[in-house]
Amino acid sequence: MSESKFETLSSLVDDSLSSIDLSKDAKPIDCILKDEELAQSWQNYHLIGDVLRDEMPQSLQLDLSSQIAEAIANEATILSPNSASVTAVADELSDNVAQEAPQVIQAQNRFTAKVKEFIKPAGQIAIAASAAVLMVVGVQQNVADDAAVTPNQIVQPMPLGGYANPVSFNYLSPTQAEQKSIAEKKAMASATQSAGELTHQQKVEQRIAQQRRLQALINDHEQQVKLSSAIK
Amino acid sequence: MKLISSFLCMLCISFPAFANDIEQAKPWLERLSTSLKTLNYSTSFVVVKNNQAEPYHWLHGVDDKQQELEILAQLNGPRRDVLRRGNTVSYIEPEQDAYSVSSAYLSGPIPAIFSHDIEALESSYRFISVGRSRVLGRVAQVIRIVPKDSHRFDHWLWLDQQSGLLLKMAIITRQGQLLEQVQFTHLDVTNDIAESLKQLQSAELPSVSDVGIQNQQDELFWHVSWLPQGIEIIKSSRRRVNNDKTVEFILLSDGLVEISVYINPSNIQQRPIEYASDGATAVFSQIVDGLEVSVVGKIPLETAKMIADSVGPVATNSQ
Repeated sequence: MSESKFETLSSLVDDSLSSIDLSKDAKPIDCILKDEELAQSWQNYHLIGDVLRDEMPQSLQLDLSSQIAEAIANEATILSPNSASVTAVADELSDNVAQEAPQVIQAQNRFTAKVKEFIKPAGQIAIAASAAVLMVVGVQQNVADDAAVTPNQIVQPMPLGGYANPVSFNYLSPTQAEQKSIAEKKAMASATQSAGELTHQQKVEQRIAQQRRLQALINDHEQQVKLSSAIK
Repeated sequence: MKLISSFLCMLCISFPAFANDIEQAKPWLERLSTSLKTLNYSTSFVVVKNNQAEPYHWLHGVDDKQQELEILAQLNGPRRDVLRRGNTVSYIEPEQDAYSVSSAYLSGPIPAIFSHDIEALESSYRFISVGRSRVLGRVAQVIRIVPKDSHRFDHWLWLDQQSGLLLKMAIITRQGQLLEQVQFTHLDVTNDIAESLKQLQSAELPSVSDVGIQNQQDELFWHVSWLPQGIEIIKSSRRRVNNDKTVEFILLSDGLVEISVYINPSNIQQRPIEYASDGATAVFSQIVDGLEVSVVGKIPLETAKMIADSVGPVATNSQ
């Protein structure tokens, strides 16, 4: 019984007390008011919550309740018209005994939900952090790949032997190619020299001519493969 | 003593297991070959490379006269079809008039060797059964065709457990980088041949062109002195490319991949290396000491360069 009481209390603190709880339980706030232990827990739960949410003030005032009580005592008294509710609470408490079993199950669910809520933010941070690590590693990986021998995909040739896709301009300039390990150094040296003297326009023309050459080679290769099948 | 005996025991167990893997892979490839030749199927697939997907439609059937009928059609762009009836293969392309070649297989994105003598690959490749996977909603057996040297690419095949047909193919570098993929998107195995294949039975195909007959082995001034093991010269000829220059041409093949080598003297003394790649196909071109050498094929660029570098004059011939 007491455990479920704490659960109800906990739900109330979390502001997640459903309407079902409210209908089954006696007004939970009234219970807390009556029970010294619950009142203490109420205070503790809020304190825990505040710490978790990082909402603690700079200077810690652990017990405000006495100060508030004091302040209330100084206020003018207002008479409440509803004082009969106290007896109703007692009746409903006895009803609760019959409903104890389903409540325990509910309590467990609420507990796991609470744990999940507890872990979630931490988990999200962990996932975000590991994603960041992966990104860093991935970026490094890409850089490493670029340095490797594999070139950009320059030509868009024809799969079956001849449709001329627009030639892409994603080619390698001689200077880029030089950085690739496949390049032969002495041949490249003269190339970069001459490339440096050329205007941009000339370079573009050169590259287009180069692309046409390579494209024509792929086309011819595929044509030859088709024809060669005759003799095999 | 115990250690040694248990080690021996492990050896006994592991060796047959290893042999078993190879044993398992080859029947799968043989079954693929038989299925490709004998079943009636209607399939669609896409070739994925260069961040593009090219869709194809592929039909195959065997008619009452045991004659194989085949249509391979590219679905995007200008019409580009390959038709095959028995030993006549016709290519219909926008650039030129339709022509036919007398051949037992058509040339497309799927290596022709898969429907033929798979054993011919054994000198340069090993077959490894990798395991099972799910492709096209079917149970697929994964088979790797691994080159015995480092000069070629790895081919991965996903074969349908039910029909033995190809469901997926990937060309992968030794470093594990995916270059090109063929992914089937539809596969139908039927008892009867498809309607369009029936039309092909009676269709008039273009006459067999004499272009294919230029397969004589010309005497060349230049030769390739280094080739990866298993790659052989299929054809060597002197001919014109793009109507502007005469080249010496050598076609090489190891059964699975074809490589073209173009050699011609150039006015330019030196030109920096040019290279490009289209999926798994590498193009490599260089001019060194006034000799232009270009290599094209589904091989790593390093291999292309090694082949190009090995080109030299045939002995006792000054040019």
